[in-house]
Amino acid sequence: MIRLHHVYKRFAQGDEAIEALSDVSLEIAQGECVVLRGASGSGKSTLLSLIAGLAQPSSGEIRVLDREISKLPEHLSALFRRAHIGFIFQKFHLIPGLNVEENVIAPLIPANLPLHVLQEKARAKMEALCIASKAKRDVRRLSGGEQQRVAIARALINDPVLILADEPTANLDAKLSTELIEHLYMLKQSGVTLLIATHDPLFFDLAFVDRIIELKNGRIV
Amino acid sequence: MLANVNVLLLDYALGSLKRQGGKSVFILIVLSLLIFLLASVLMIADAIKLELNTTLKTLPQITLQRFVAGKQTNVSLSRVDTILAFNGVERVMPRVWGYYYFKPAGVNFSIVGVDAYEEPYKKRLSELTRTFDLLTLEKEGGMIVGEGVKNVLQENYYSDFFNFITPKGERYPLKIAGVFHSDIALESNDLMLVPKQAAYAIFGMSPEEATDIVVHVNNPVEIPTIVQKITERYPDLRAITQDDLRISYQNIFDYKSGFFLSLFIVCVFAFFIVIYDKASALSSEERREIGILKALGWRMSDIVHVKFYESFVMAFSAFITGFCAALFFVYVLQAPLLRSVFIGYSELKPPFRLPFSVDVKMIVLLFFLSVPVYIAATLIPAWKAACLDADEVMR
Repeated sequence: MIRLHHVYKRFAQGDEAIEALSDVSLEIAQGECVVLRGASGSGKSTLLSLIAGLAQPSSGEIRVLDREISKLPEHLSALFRRAHIGFIFQKFHLIPGLNVEENVIAPLIPANLPLHVLQEKARAKMEALCIASKAKRDVRRLSGGEQQRVAIARALINDPVLILADEPTANLDAKLSTELIEHLYMLKQSGVTLLIATHDPLFFDLAFVDRIIELKNGRIV
Repeated sequence: MLANVNVLLLDYALGSLKRQGGKSVFILIVLSLLIFLLASVLMIADAIKLELNTTLKTLPQITLQRFVAGKQTNVSLSRVDTILAFNGVERVMPRVWGYYYFKPAGVNFSIVGVDAYEEPYKKRLSELTRTFDLLTLEKEGGMIVGEGVKNVLQENYYSDFFNFITPKGERYPLKIAGVFHSDIALESNDLMLVPKQAAYAIFGMSPEEATDIVVHVNNPVEIPTIVQKITERYPDLRAITQDDLRISYQNIFDYKSGFFLSLFIVCVFAFFIVIYDKASALSSEERREIGILKALGWRMSDIVHVKFYESFVMAFSAFITGFCAALFFVYVLQAPLLRSVFIGYSELKPPFRLPFSVDVKMIVLLFFLSVPVYIAATLIPAWKAACLDADEVMR
């Protein structure tokens, strides 16, 4: 499903070159739930970005679903993301001013599908996450938990085979974090591959987590 | 082509403009205002140019004025036959005209003497007099007046006739036999067409004299030669040719268009400041939104499309609003404030209407000065942001 081979990622900061990831190699099988553990700045988010094709590695190879995503041009990596990957962000990253339904269908707007098809898909996801009753509400008027559910519904709108979650509980209280874990568990049950970057201890003892990979200063330890 | 338009992207773009609310309204107002100013300036300049050309076409080829001691004075009619005998001269028409000061209203009327048996010295006057019977006018002591004159006289209780006072202090009544409605309102508004003998009486002139003489030639190329012959024969005559008048009018127009140019430059400058301000930076929210959309699977081209729709809708709406407002301002309201600067002061305040003159070239110029410039200014920063890695933009 996911294969990283000697991946490096360097950033330039002024005159200095910072190595965010250093010689990272790993493999994740389909349907696996993997937690990436590490302190802030250890390279977890960078790794997720590279796997999603949001950024290019400085060197090395990244294959997702047997596609070398690190070599895909921008428009193809966007299409790949739209077709196969769902992204759950730490800060939800909902689009303010749009309502719940509009946020949920946002990833598929460029697909040029009929609106009613998108609305039906969105309704199914919103119902599964118990936010269908708030479909027309501006996301700025939702609670933190509701916003997280909208973000999950949005990540699922394209029926992804891979979910990348970046610090998904960072902005949630204990109750909402438990609720989120429930949703992730459901996804795992349905065969979706999960890669969760977090330093929240809640994830370290979960029965459905297959593996924990620890990152330190950009290296797997 | 329209079938290829992603309606949802377009809808997203419109929603985005709506979400930006106050900012969108502000930009729309500023852009519309600038386009309105630009369009108004161009429309007024065009209208004045058209009016100038129309006026120039009606001017005589050569006008001869007599000067004594540096002051204009009347010309003897005996010179008419001599001038007519010059080779190349087609027609020579003595004119009797002048101004009559109407003290109660504090205005000057332009009086032109017409003769039923003489062809008027210019085509326009001929058109004006064709609808009236000049013989009856002479017999019954009548006159034809411009609308402005009629209004002033009515305000002073002269609805049927007017009593002129001759230089000898005698009354000379003339009936108001008709009012002409000319599209060259500037020219005819303060005009009184009176029988020639009445004009002589009103001005206290001898019937053997004329105010000036108008000469028409067969071949316009010969005008300088004929002028030379006339002025050699009569050194006290000054010849004013149509070209002299054209240059004089053109100078006035150029002077006025200097004002226009200044306004135009200020408008363009202001427009570019707004454009630069818009182009120089995207707000952090806009950059973040671009990053989110990229992360969600939008291609750079999808983002550029949305920004294109946004800016096109904004710029085109501003263009239509500004242009229609300018049409209304210039041709319906007759460009208040700007108009008074360029048309000048007249005691009779003629109801001069800016003639409708909208040139396709002007519309194209305005369009290309506004819409594509704005679109480019909006697209470039959006494209730059869309080029960055999504996670970099979102941070």
